[in-house]
Amino acid sequence: MTTILLGPQRFTITVDKTLRSLGLEGPIAVINSGWEEREGEDDELGSYLQGRAVNLRLYHRLVDSLSKDRDFARAALRFRDRHDELRAFYGIRLQGAVETVGAVAHRTSVESIGPVAQAAAIETVRDVDRWYGGQLEQLYDEIATESAEHSEVIGWHRAEVATSLDECAAVVIPGGDVRSLMRTLRLFDVRIPADTPVIAWSAGAMVLTEQVVLFHDFASQGMSASEVYDRGLGRVRGVVALPHARRRLHLSDTSRMSLLARRFPDQRLLLLDDGAVVRLDDDGPDLPVGSRTIEADGTVSVVEAA
Amino acid sequence: MSPRLRLAVNRLREHPIDGPTIDRFIDRHGSPIIEGERATFLFRGDVDEVWLRHRVVGLPDPMALERIGDSDLWVVTTVLPEGSRVEYQIEIRKGESYERFNDPLNSRLAHSPMGSSSVCAAIGYRVPEWVSPDPEARPGELVEEVVRSKALRRDQPVQIYLPARYNRVQRYPLLVVHDGPDYLAYTSMKTVLDNLIHRLDVDPLIVVFVPPGDRLKEYPNHAPHARFIARELVPLVNERLPLIDTPEARSLMGSSFGGVASLSTAVRYPGFFGSLMLQSASLVSTDIGFDHGGGPAFDPVVKFVNSYREKPVRVVDRIFMTCGVYEPLITPNRSMVPVLRHTGTKVHYTESRDGHNWENWRDGLGEGLSWLFPGPQKFVYE
Repeated sequence: MTTILLGPQRFTITVDKTLRSLGLEGPIAVINSGWEEREGEDDELGSYLQGRAVNLRLYHRLVDSLSKDRDFARAALRFRDRHDELRAFYGIRLQGAVETVGAVAHRTSVESIGPVAQAAAIETVRDVDRWYGGQLEQLYDEIATESAEHSEVIGWHRAEVATSLDECAAVVIPGGDVRSLMRTLRLFDVRIPADTPVIAWSAGAMVLTEQVVLFHDFASQGMSASEVYDRGLGRVRGVVALPHARRRLHLSDTSRMSLLARRFPDQRLLLLDDGAVVRLDDDGPDLPVGSRTIEADGTVSVVEAA
Repeated sequence: MSPRLRLAVNRLREHPIDGPTIDRFIDRHGSPIIEGERATFLFRGDVDEVWLRHRVVGLPDPMALERIGDSDLWVVTTVLPEGSRVEYQIEIRKGESYERFNDPLNSRLAHSPMGSSSVCAAIGYRVPEWVSPDPEARPGELVEEVVRSKALRRDQPVQIYLPARYNRVQRYPLLVVHDGPDYLAYTSMKTVLDNLIHRLDVDPLIVVFVPPGDRLKEYPNHAPHARFIARELVPLVNERLPLIDTPEARSLMGSSFGGVASLSTAVRYPGFFGSLMLQSASLVSTDIGFDHGGGPAFDPVVKFVNSYREKPVRVVDRIFMTCGVYEPLITPNRSMVPVLRHTGTKVHYTESRDGHNWENWRDGLGEGLSWLFPGPQKFVYE
């Protein structure tokens, strides 16, 4: 299984060279539903893929399904409303838990209680993450899955997407809005064959992992806690993908970065900045030499040769 | 002070001054001249006295300009801290005749319902880039509506902003704006909304711009006005447009008396709105007696604010408050922050080096709207 995670492609284009390095022939499936209604404006991307791109048009298929299947549209709205509310409550609980970690870390500890209290506070953050994940799974089970399984329109699209994927030599997943990307991948039950190489960046890299984690320390509305959004495709295991890390993460704030790393103890926090090329040839957690990660102490380290 | 750091006008004084010298000086420097944290204002004319008129708390108003020698050039230099923005006019006396007008040497103007003023921007002040139309930002749409109001006993026109990519399948938060047409005209609020939504700073939202009727009567704690907003306008908009029908997604905003209207409406309908945006709100109060100094128009304001301060209660979850440090309302606004926070309300309070004017309120829209309606930046990784 070959998966290559790239840095953002807006200013430093590496997807063309990366694709050539694979030496493949045949069509390249493109999943750019994160671009939403601009999904079809893929000429420039197509030129980097040597004119071999086959756009799976998942966003277009989503709109088509919503317009043709009323039951599904109703279920989608119900899901959205409940998911929005779930995220709102998750946000309240998460912010409180994260602020507690900061307060505990700040308190002077003379009798060695501090580290124990901090570990417990971080465990509370993990517990809030787990609660959200559990609620979301329940939501998928209750609403989303059933309506999609019974939809003829969606079934038809799923079959077409599966056929296209089977005929392609590789899959390319660019960035965009990670909500739309996740939603369409789930809805059309996109299963990328293990032996089909995948090249992805930005939101595309995030959805290939086990957990999609949202983050932006420099958002215009001010800093808020990074949050779990959804379960990803799980093709890349043991990694949380953090694209645009320099632009979006307060990397010099080691306390904040430490909390982020300790929240996901069984994951490597992989920084994907401009120019990054991280090739993973199996589904293990080993990262190639040169990969940059955030460690438990909040510092950034570079994977070195063993 | 080395010669290089001396003010331009002081270097001018060192030499004989004639008409062509002044012409060249003005051509070169314009007016006002910003040098570090100093601003030098110029006026040229055959008059008897000249003053700078402004409303900056802390600086003398009027501020007299001084004639240089026996020339027709008048000058005054004042401190102007980094990031400041000041609106002003020139006043002259010629014999018994007084006249007041915008600075003829300064083309930069600000507009308001009261007319225009000249603008002096200190170093470090920049007009936010999201104020000008961005060709890449998809424009939203403004729709005219008339609401029949029993509370106000009139037909009340409103303008409703629908964001770009408006879709009935989506659901949107709601913002009701007092002095709506003024916000559209003097803060370019439609362009600002288009841009902030395009930049993902602000979530797509529906905004209702409401013009005032009898503003001085209806804005300071007026029951029919509050009833119109909470019991007529919002339910009607909710019925016609796809709104998120929860208090958290409902917000009121206004500046000056419009800020009082926003807070007093929320106080009359506690829990109905989730948040407020108060810009230079006229939250004047007295601690003893009733001598507030604001004139009769402020009587109902002071009565309302005194009453609220006596028994403050939480009426919304969050308030974004701003005020200019150069306006007389800075002290009342500062003093309201702990009162509101004490109720458990989350208050985000910021100050600007500006005055009681529309461009100040325009400049505060980016931070305020993105705090109240955070955009989807966290979801987009291009």
